Amino acid sequence: MNAKEFDVIIIGGGITGAGTQRDCAMRGLRTLLIERSDIATGATGRNHGLLHSGARYAVNDAESAEECIKENMILRRIAAHCIDETDGLFITLPEDDLAYQKTFVEACQKAGISAEVIDPALARRLEPSVNPDLIGAVRVPDGSVDPFRLCAANMLDAKMHGGQVRLHSEVVGFIREQDSIIGVRTQNRLTGEIEEYYAPVTVNACGIWGHHIAELAGVNIGMYPAKGALLIFAHRINNMVINRCRKPSNADILVPGDTVCVIGTTSTHIPFEECDHVAVTPDEVTLLITEGAKLSPALSSTRILRAYAGVRPLVSADDDPTGRNISRGIVCLDHETRDGLKGFITITGGKLMTYRLMAEIATDAVCRKLGIDKPCETATTPLPGSEERSYEAVAQKIWEKPSMAQKAAASRMGTGAFHIQSGDRQDDALICECEEVSVGEIKFAIERMDASTLTDLRRRTRVGMGTCQGEFCACRAAGLLAKANGCVEKERKGLAEFLQERWKGNFPIGWGDTLREAEYTQWVYKHVLGL
Amino acid sequence: MKFDTIIIGGGLAGLVSGISLQKAGQDVAIISTGQNALHFFSGSFESVEEPPQRMADLFSEAGIRLQYRPGVRLMPLGTFRPATLSLDDINLFPTPRFAKKAMIVNFTGYHDFFTDFLAEGLEKQGIPCRVQLLQLPELDVIRQSPSEMRSVQIARTMDRIWEKVVQEIRVRLDDEDTVILPQVFGLQDLSVPGRIRQGIPAQIVFVGTLPPSVPGIRTQMLLKRRYEILGGTYLMGDEALKAHIHDGVVHSIVTRNLDSHYLEADNFILATGGFFSKGLKSNPFRIYEPVFGLDVTFAEDRNTWYSPDFSADQPYMDYGVKTDASLHALQDGKPLKNLYVIGSILGGTHPEFGTAAGLAVRSAFAAVDQILS
Repeated sequence: MNAKEFDVIIIGGGITGAGTQRDCAMRGLRTLLIERSDIATGATGRNHGLLHSGARYAVNDAESAEECIKENMILRRIAAHCIDETDGLFITLPEDDLAYQKTFVEACQKAGISAEVIDPALARRLEPSVNPDLIGAVRVPDGSVDPFRLCAANMLDAKMHGGQVRLHSEVVGFIREQDSIIGVRTQNRLTGEIEEYYAPVTVNACGIWGHHIAELAGVNIGMYPAKGALLIFAHRINNMVINRCRKPSNADILVPGDTVCVIGTTSTHIPFEECDHVAVTPDEVTLLITEGAKLSPALSSTRILRAYAGVRPLVSADDDPTGRNISRGIVCLDHETRDGLKGFITITGGKLMTYRLMAEIATDAVCRKLGIDKPCETATTPLPGSEERSYEAVAQKIWEKPSMAQKAAASRMGTGAFHIQSGDRQDDALICECEEVSVGEIKFAIERMDASTLTDLRRRTRVGMGTCQGEFCACRAAGLLAKANGCVEKERKGLAEFLQERWKGNFPIGWGDTLREAEYTQWVYKHVLGL
Repeated sequence: MKFDTIIIGGGLAGLVSGISLQKAGQDVAIISTGQNALHFFSGSFESVEEPPQRMADLFSEAGIRLQYRPGVRLMPLGTFRPATLSLDDINLFPTPRFAKKAMIVNFTGYHDFFTDFLAEGLEKQGIPCRVQLLQLPELDVIRQSPSEMRSVQIARTMDRIWEKVVQEIRVRLDDEDTVILPQVFGLQDLSVPGRIRQGIPAQIVFVGTLPPSVPGIRTQMLLKRRYEILGGTYLMGDEALKAHIHDGVVHSIVTRNLDSHYLEADNFILATGGFFSKGLKSNPFRIYEPVFGLDVTFAEDRNTWYSPDFSADQPYMDYGVKTDASLHALQDGKPLKNLYVIGSILGGTHPEFGTAAGLAVRSAFAAVDQILS
């Protein structure tokens, strides 16, 4: 066992934890982030990737709406390489009440969200994939955000400010001194090694798993796990976010992102035991396609790439069975004032959109405890990779005539792409043809972004996220990992896990081309490659 | 256009039946979309043990050398699998400990051959080895486009420069008794693997790469060439769309390219493969056969089509077109008198024929016997 000391320990490698670590590190604290799996494995990576304008919440939850639009504008500045400024439409269909549009627009304006009523004909021109039967449309500043990239960039910046990160490490116990938490005991899930780390403050930023972490610390926070199911389609059908202009309901947001688009979501209360392996049911798939096709009819004939589900970290307010009416607001609990437990803070609730604000609130609380008075600068300092607003400009600066793959790399990494320039043809070789990921980009993710498994690589580079779902790139990338880590046995196991994980999202939608690819992949890996 | 037999599907099953019928004096047409399971053939015939004499003859007349030697073979990810009947450039060993010391050779920038996995697999068997990367300027042309370093492109170059590879290996060879090479040799020039074996004073082992499979594509080319030499018609890049059926007899079919002509025949063979080859198609509600609308075995409840475990046997792979005992296709429960179903599209409905390549070859011969009797 070796002990190490920090000013603050953050548990949870989702966007809230990563954002909190960045903020703490920027304020000069010695930080350690502990994550039991990989970055963005919980709700962070299991949502729409919607850069909310706040319009969705304007009518029912003015506070969330205001937070959203403020953070929306901030993220466009600080996280340009993670964001696609698409704008969004709120459409009214013949079966919807057009009168709601007026209520909606007024609420948006009150919250400071630009909401412009446009002619349905103009909406059809702006977004040709929209349901042509629409009778009303409002344009709002929605967009899309890549949560994996955003999370990785926050963590990278924290590290550039001296922060340390321990991935695949699970907190198995707290170290106490009287009524204070003074450290944590962790177990590495890959090696089994036990470690102890000490800090005067520990932040619980584990999303829905924060419930369990709080229990481990001996305090109770009444969380409410609400599952949301989503489908990814193999093509980017729409260029603008399409929402239904009505009270928030199932499957009423279609978000474009990179080469795909995502329809969601549903909301079902689930028991805590299910949080670790939420599965999408055939009924949910049917509901998502049927409702989704009302936003954009092309969905019904487009190949579905994957089905997946996340669990919202809601904090119980009443016994609403759907969890939809619980506020999405931010909850920051100082367990010293709440429960008499010193040195322990929980930051939860909120959403991807407001992660930076959550991080600021949590960091303020940490600084108060440590007696540090330093202003938060995360709202104005760009994340690494986002020093330039446009990825075309980045690509142009690095390569005289950027290829498609080089443009794709710049769009994923922003100015981080400077690090993969090589002029070396070998580093330009493509590992993943669907997403145009090169050897150089994979190497960067392994060396600089803590990727130690194939699934880690996927979250950082999009390897295996494309139409073939890892058929070819998985073992190419496994080859590079084996070289970097020097452990083939681990990579062989990692390859099997990666394929299992891809299959988990494929079989709920296993028909048509998905079943074709699955048959091919299952045959090739088993009988041709000998996995 | 009128033929004795029309075969839909130009993979292993379609070509074996086409060659046999043509050789028996029939006038045959094969309709092929161009892609088939031979493109990811491992080189070993799964589920065939000792080859029936007619199979051995058919392959040898096509110029394909088979070997029958029960043993194990080295797989691309460094594992060993039992294998019996294989193409002759696949090495079959009595035990996995087949060498004293090995040199694994790859080309710089080629990521579809898994040297580290192989090295670890060999070391597990107590075979020490080292990896050597050959830097060949001749591959630079391919490397200019980042997605071109793939098996078939490399194999085309290797047909020309294999002698240089032999020289490079001879220079590097130390005390190794075995050299392991990717299967990217002998795509067009069949003599290359043998000449490499002669040129290097060590045991040469060719190991598979990511698909496309070079030995598989070569097998497909040789079978097709044999079929065409026998006078068979091969309609490449065409697809059967629908059929005209009266009183349980198929009269003709319509294809995409020849939509104004009916292709007529006395007998038809359906050899369109499984899901990947599009012999079977699926939607959220059913699994179906798209050309004739034949009866397919599948469960009503889609949840039972799959095992959530990726590596487990998948129920959907067993689904197939229903036939009677003589391989006549069933449509609405009734057999079509002159339509025979062979190969992977049968799924697991005829376990007596085996699976994969075994199923393709055995069911092809069975249908041919029916047609010729």
